[in-house]
Amino acid sequence: MKFRKIMATLLAGVMTLSLAACGQSATGTESASTDSATSEEAPAAEAAENTNTETAGTDGEKLVIWTLAKDLQTFAEKYVEDHNVQIETVVIEPADYVTKVQTALNGGQTTPDIIVGEPQMLEDFYDAGYFEDLNQAPYNAQDYKGQIVDYVWEVGQDKDGIQRAISYQITPAGIYYRRDIAKDVFGTDDPDEIGKLFKDYPTILDTAEKLKSAGYRIFASDAEIGYFSGDTAWVVNDTLNVDQARLDYMDLVTDLYQNDLTAYANQWSTPWYQAMAGEVPILTAAVQSYADDSINVWDAEGFAEATKDLDKTQVFAFGLPSWGVLTLRDNVGETSGSWGVCSGPSYGFGGGTFIGISAMSEHKDLAWDFLKWVTLDESTAEWWIEKSEGDTVSLVSVLEKHKDDANEVYGGEHLYSFWQEQAAGIDYSKVTRFDKIINDAWGAACTAVKTGEMDKEAAISEFYDVVESTYPEITINR
Amino acid sequence: MATKIKRAILYIALIILGLMCLLPFWLMMVNSTRSGVEITHSFSFLPGHSLKDNWKVLFDYVNLFLGLLNSFKVAVPATLLTAYFSAITAFGMAMYNWKGNNVLFRVIVVFMMIPAQLSLIGFYNLCQKLHLIDSYITLIIPAIASPGIVFFLRQYTKATLSKSLMEAARIDGASEIHIFHRIVLPIMAPGIATMSIGTFIGNWNSYLVPLILLNTPKKMTLPVMISTLNAATDLQKNQGAIYLGVAISVIPIIIAFCFFSKYIISSISAGSVKE
Amino acid sequence: MKKRASMRKKNRENAAYLFVLPFVIVFLIFSVYPVLRTLFLSFTEYKGYGEPVFNGLANYTRVLKDKFFWRALRNTVKMWSLNIVLQLGMAFLLTIIFSDIKYKLRGLAIFRAVYYLPNLIAATSVAFLFKTLLDWKYGTFNQILLATGIVDQQINWLGQRSTAWAVIGVIQAWMWFGNSFIILMAGVQGIPTDYFEAAAIDGAGRWKVFGSITLPLLRPILLYVAVTSLIGGLQLFDLPFLMNGTGGPSTAGEPGGTLQTVVMYLFKFGFETHQVGFASAIAYTLFFIILFVSIMEFKFIGGKED
Repeated sequence: MKFRKIMATLLAGVMTLSLAACGQSATGTESASTDSATSEEAPAAEAAENTNTETAGTDGEKLVIWTLAKDLQTFAEKYVEDHNVQIETVVIEPADYVTKVQTALNGGQTTPDIIVGEPQMLEDFYDAGYFEDLNQAPYNAQDYKGQIVDYVWEVGQDKDGIQRAISYQITPAGIYYRRDIAKDVFGTDDPDEIGKLFKDYPTILDTAEKLKSAGYRIFASDAEIGYFSGDTAWVVNDTLNVDQARLDYMDLVTDLYQNDLTAYANQWSTPWYQAMAGEVPILTAAVQSYADDSINVWDAEGFAEATKDLDKTQVFAFGLPSWGVLTLRDNVGETSGSWGVCSGPSYGFGGGTFIGISAMSEHKDLAWDFLKWVTLDESTAEWWIEKSEGDTVSLVSVLEKHKDDANEVYGGEHLYSFWQEQAAGIDYSKVTRFDKIINDAWGAACTAVKTGEMDKEAAISEFYDVVESTYPEITINR
Repeated sequence: MATKIKRAILYIALIILGLMCLLPFWLMMVNSTRSGVEITHSFSFLPGHSLKDNWKVLFDYVNLFLGLLNSFKVAVPATLLTAYFSAITAFGMAMYNWKGNNVLFRVIVVFMMIPAQLSLIGFYNLCQKLHLIDSYITLIIPAIASPGIVFFLRQYTKATLSKSLMEAARIDGASEIHIFHRIVLPIMAPGIATMSIGTFIGNWNSYLVPLILLNTPKKMTLPVMISTLNAATDLQKNQGAIYLGVAISVIPIIIAFCFFSKYIISSISAGSVKE
Repeated sequence: MKKRASMRKKNRENAAYLFVLPFVIVFLIFSVYPVLRTLFLSFTEYKGYGEPVFNGLANYTRVLKDKFFWRALRNTVKMWSLNIVLQLGMAFLLTIIFSDIKYKLRGLAIFRAVYYLPNLIAATSVAFLFKTLLDWKYGTFNQILLATGIVDQQINWLGQRSTAWAVIGVIQAWMWFGNSFIILMAGVQGIPTDYFEAAAIDGAGRWKVFGSITLPLLRPILLYVAVTSLIGGLQLFDLPFLMNGTGGPSTAGEPGGTLQTVVMYLFKFGFETHQVGFASAIAYTLFFIILFVSIMEFKFIGGKED
């Protein structure tokens, strides 16, 4: 009897406790919340086994960075060479990054000290107050305005114009094309002339048809012009804005797809990379349907031998931001030197790592010093250009200094001055926090139209529906 | 004679079904030894020569063995906890009459129907409050309470265990916990074993919860690591390395299962269900 | 004498409490609390940071009016239906074949292991594997189909509406039929062989034995399989999330939103657009639907059982 009573009391107690805990607000920003996470350090040997987390430096104050790409690890290694600090850099995949930062900072974690963001993530990060105000003392970031390329500087500001993040690179988009194919088909390989072939969507379609009849394909897939779609923001004054350029883009994508004008190799897929180095197979029905037994498909080498004369094509152009310079350089193989870069149908940009200080950090002075060193220091920028073998930095003075550098992979083109021109044309106000979802929905509409699964009207109407149901706060004028 | 032919047909059908289960894995292994170029140009059922290259590309990017180890660190204790505590809970519910038994059963049934994602936000919130983010504790301890397993074992116990057996043990003077450990557990073993495979696989394959709870890449479990390959543009250029990554995540489990499944089968046939 | 008996009874009751206590404690903390917390959030507007602001039933009315929620539900049910028909059909057929006393098929251990194999593999690996194998122009699967003359042009398995959902359904079934088979088979083996022997002596035919002995005794296990499969099926997330026609993981459910499941829809709002309150309401709406269908299942399959 006694036992049962105790038991019942216990159960009731646990239940009450858990219910009481429910009632508590979620955001009790418990300042005491030091992270049990980082205190459980794994042995050093184990840490070294995973390249996603690296600690540079052996002693001194410790800075923790959460970032999206390995660049900052390299920066950190360089930084600790002449600073007595430790820097732990954690690289997190972009798909998970936002959630990780949110949960850490909402939970009051004092690490990371430095967080980064890509443009479309930033607005939410600003609103949530994750980033330290860099205009206040001791940072006084506004004093550095003008040293950084304008659009990058603006991306780092919240809606009240307060500087919150700075990037060390610019990422304007361009069209990368094969000079040898250009000469063959168009009789010239001059970037200005080739740029004219991409000046608007109807011209691109024209160019694509000419290339196809010459046995080439204009793009690996229709995704290559994604960086140049749309001239205005998706949302203007809380109203959805579908400008004519968006509709033209949809038409172009449809034409490219339906007329077999691309090689159907998705971005970042194996054949996409292969297309940079030269030939890719066009697997059409006729090629692959073997009525007779002359080809032994069970034997890989024999198969490759037998099919080697079958249809192959070469891809003419790729649309990528300035960091694509490095991607191509690493993958072009024997076509190195016969590439060029020209402007696309509009000024676009893609990605970019914007660095800020976590509002929760306990090492803000050190974080600012690191941030300043990465983004605003000329010698760092010089070092980075050399280290990255050609990344495009955001410091105006350094870009000016390198504007006559000839890049041999791209036939000696002066890429730094090219990117600077492109960056000058970028209108950052085009970026909104709604972009990811709206772009996805628009991409879905384009796909539905190009594959013939929906007519244009129905697809656009569904696009409106998606936006409406996702963001009730956006007004839609159909 | 007719029986023999029918039996042969059945065997052939079963073997074809088996091949369908194995073919994707075979292609995976073959492709993991071929270069990206070979894979996109043609297929083959025989291995190629690029295993070494693929290996290098993959491990330059990520150490999957660490993920493998992490997954074991989570899945093994979680499975043991689930097996033991589910069995004892099911036993307590199935073989005893006590106040609240029915209430608990109903609550369990209700919670089985609750999508795991229903509690995700609240669960995360709780882990933050307990300062258990990025810790394996939150992946292991909750395994003690697995409503679905308790539900199954309760049904199973009712179907296989007779009250007379327990009465007999009681007359021999055995205590309740002793009865559970010595008599009931062996009888329940086939059911527990079957459920344990499922639990282990569930923990092993769990993706969403570790994805959100674990922040440090070196603590990531295998599925989370594998899913990061998807975003690894360096890897995508070599499909062979992708296949190899998937293969490394799969092969140890296949090997382990060869032993594990034998144990399961013998434990099922040795189960003292008949008594 | 009577008194001692009741003492013993009480002791037993106490033992039972002790047996379920660890379960109950952990259950309350890690299952009950989070679920109630989500319930609370479903009545608020909550961005994931800041204070949740109470807004009554607004999230629920929005869910009910949202055609994409219902589309997601239809998608999920469609994929699950194909999956469950194949999965349970296969599992049942295999159970019947292997428990047949006339054929006495051998090699159960090996077959069972092979059939179970796909279930061992993490959904992330399976998704990765099939996404690569099923690639439209460059995938091994289409290469094989073309080479053997089964089709005369590549099928864009994951890129067109007509096939993508079915691919997911079939892969799900491929992953799970072995699991159902093991569970059903374990149930059959739990049936005392005397029953079958007795039936054999009575001269009962194969189908008679199956209908009057195997099936009724399997009912609790069948109920379990049906209920868990439904719950698992309506929570479908990993495969369509990772095998999206668009490339990386995405909640958009390409092509044409046909792969967007309810949980992907929930994930979109909970983790991408930061409408946590709305996401919580989606979770609860899904829960009520699952609850309703499960009660139906209990009624139809469960019979008298509890």
